[in-house]
Amino acid sequence: MKGTMISLAEVRRKRRNTLVISVMLIGILAAFLISMNTGVIRMSPLDVVKTLLGFGTAQQHLVLFDFRLPRIIISILIGMGLAVSGAVLQALTRNALADPGIIGINSGAGMVILLYVAFYSSPTAAPAYLLPILAWLGGGVAALLVFIISYRKHKGLSSNRLVLNGVAISSGFSAVTILVSLRINPEQYQFVSTWLAGSIWSKDWSYVTALLPFIVVLLPFVYFKSQTINVLNLGAPLATGLGAAVAKQQIWLLAAAVGLASSCVAVSGSIGFVGLIAPHLARRLVGQRYQILLPATALAGGLLVLVADTLGRWILQPSEIPTGIVVAVIGAPYFLYLMFRTKG
Amino acid sequence: MFGKGKKLVIVLLSVMSLSLVLAACGGNKENNGNANNAATESASPTPAATETAAAPTEQKLTDGMGHEVTIPANPQRIIASYLEDYLVALGVKPVAQWSVANGIQEYLQGDLKDIPTIAYDLPYEAVTSFTPDLMILGANSTVDGGKYDQYAKIAPTFVLGDEVNNDWRKALLKIGEVLQKKDQAQKVLDDYNAKAADAKTKLQAAIPDQSVAAIWLVGNKFYVVSDKLSSGTVLYNDLGLKVPNVVKEISASGTGSWNEISLEKLADLDADHLILVNSDKATGSEALKDPIWQSIPAVKNGHVYEYDRTSSWLYYGPVASSQMIDNVLKDLVK
Repeated sequence: MKGTMISLAEVRRKRRNTLVISVMLIGILAAFLISMNTGVIRMSPLDVVKTLLGFGTAQQHLVLFDFRLPRIIISILIGMGLAVSGAVLQALTRNALADPGIIGINSGAGMVILLYVAFYSSPTAAPAYLLPILAWLGGGVAALLVFIISYRKHKGLSSNRLVLNGVAISSGFSAVTILVSLRINPEQYQFVSTWLAGSIWSKDWSYVTALLPFIVVLLPFVYFKSQTINVLNLGAPLATGLGAAVAKQQIWLLAAAVGLASSCVAVSGSIGFVGLIAPHLARRLVGQRYQILLPATALAGGLLVLVADTLGRWILQPSEIPTGIVVAVIGAPYFLYLMFRTKG
Repeated sequence: MFGKGKKLVIVLLSVMSLSLVLAACGGNKENNGNANNAATESASPTPAATETAAAPTEQKLTDGMGHEVTIPANPQRIIASYLEDYLVALGVKPVAQWSVANGIQEYLQGDLKDIPTIAYDLPYEAVTSFTPDLMILGANSTVDGGKYDQYAKIAPTFVLGDEVNNDWRKALLKIGEVLQKKDQAQKVLDDYNAKAADAKTKLQAAIPDQSVAAIWLVGNKFYVVSDKLSSGTVLYNDLGLKVPNVVKEISASGTGSWNEISLEKLADLDADHLILVNSDKATGSEALKDPIWQSIPAVKNGHVYEYDRTSSWLYYGPVASSQMIDNVLKDLVK
């Protein structure tokens, strides 16, 4: 009797999960189509479809394939990457407020960009790839620092240490950033701050191809580790008791989370809120199990950033609002609502 | 059993969504090429029948950043954002003009009155919507982060580069070359030089050995023009006016065209005449009520000539410089 009850609940839950995932996929598809139609150059949905099928004018081709499409794909990819990175970090640190920013990735990347701009007065002198690579290195080094300080032989990673050291390193890097920013001229500062605000300024295919390998390799990797994440989420002592090689798994997953987040930050600037909010959103919809939570988180993140980017392009036409700001503006109230609901 | 099936569905859906993304990428590469060709094809054969004496032909030039650019013979739809000064000097009308959230280049509006504006950061689609056949850009920073390749897909794009862009004489001649109006550019330059030389003699007769500084008031802070950049070159180089010691000192340590001057330094300002560009007029210019400002000798003597932020003093180029000379003559040669 009890057995059937559980399996019925199970079936219902699975049905619900499938529904959630499908709705999110449809949402992304819808946002994709709307985004394709959004921009200074007016194109009817019919024009868009025609152009996608190869019957558009040269100008429509250019706008769709070179300006809008890469940007949409980058938005979805970084949304997925940051969200999954956040979900993994929340499990590893067992801290619901963890996100890629907490292990210093954003501040590390930001500092390196600022130092570069400060010392080589014009960011343009650099080849287009240099800034993302620098940001990647900065984010990686910051995370590595946090990681080394938090690691204890025999004990593995302590989640509290990870969070505290992350906060400390981030503030240290931010302090350096502020210090240096006082010494650079307004134009340089503007460049850095636009970059930091998450304006996706590099929107062509080369950045899609640079980002894609990370996403394609690391997302499935993390997904195949979902059972491990479930166990780790129980806390190190319990996980050890259950036979998990805690330290080793933590290192692998942390490396994956850092790889995802810093490659996203490198391409997009720091779009901070996604890594925090997308996992929470997904968790409310599909529950704690990472097998389903991870795909849901990825979709939620992709949808969030895509919608934010589309809104950012649409609200103040022909000017654009940096995506990071839009994410924060739509994310923050929802997040507060979530906290409010959870408490009640 | 059932659970497994559902799980498979979810995995399949995720894989499908990912492959959709991948397919979109892969498929695009070809279209990319197509759009490219089509864009260049449509760019060249537009020029309307023209009857210029020496019929100009398409030319290949290397721009300030090393790009080889094919410039159409007779570009009709030019975007040269923040370089409109030169176009006006050469009698060319762009299809769109530079703008920021709070303004446009007012001092050029006599010539650019009905020309639509484009945001200063030149978003791709906004540029595309004007279907330009030539883009001329100034500073290297305008094509940051791989933007050049994208602009070049819209229209042939010529970047002057920082070195040329920072010297309006060089920029004028370069733009003259790009637009095949070399002689005209040279004439504009010669006329300017003659005008400056004439003004210089008049100034030396009227106010011999007196110094002038240009001060910009914005956000309650004072900035002083560098003795070697921007409007500073007009004052001190072209017109041979004397550089006040404080200006020399600040220019030596600062790097910008306009460098901030502290209130203490302001008290020491040893200029006989002050050109004040006041961007704070709308907010009441509180800083001008400060006793330190009031105590500057030039202010006490009433030798302050005020201009608002729309005047040419904050800009740089043949038209702006020429207007500055007019201003100086009006103020200082009575």
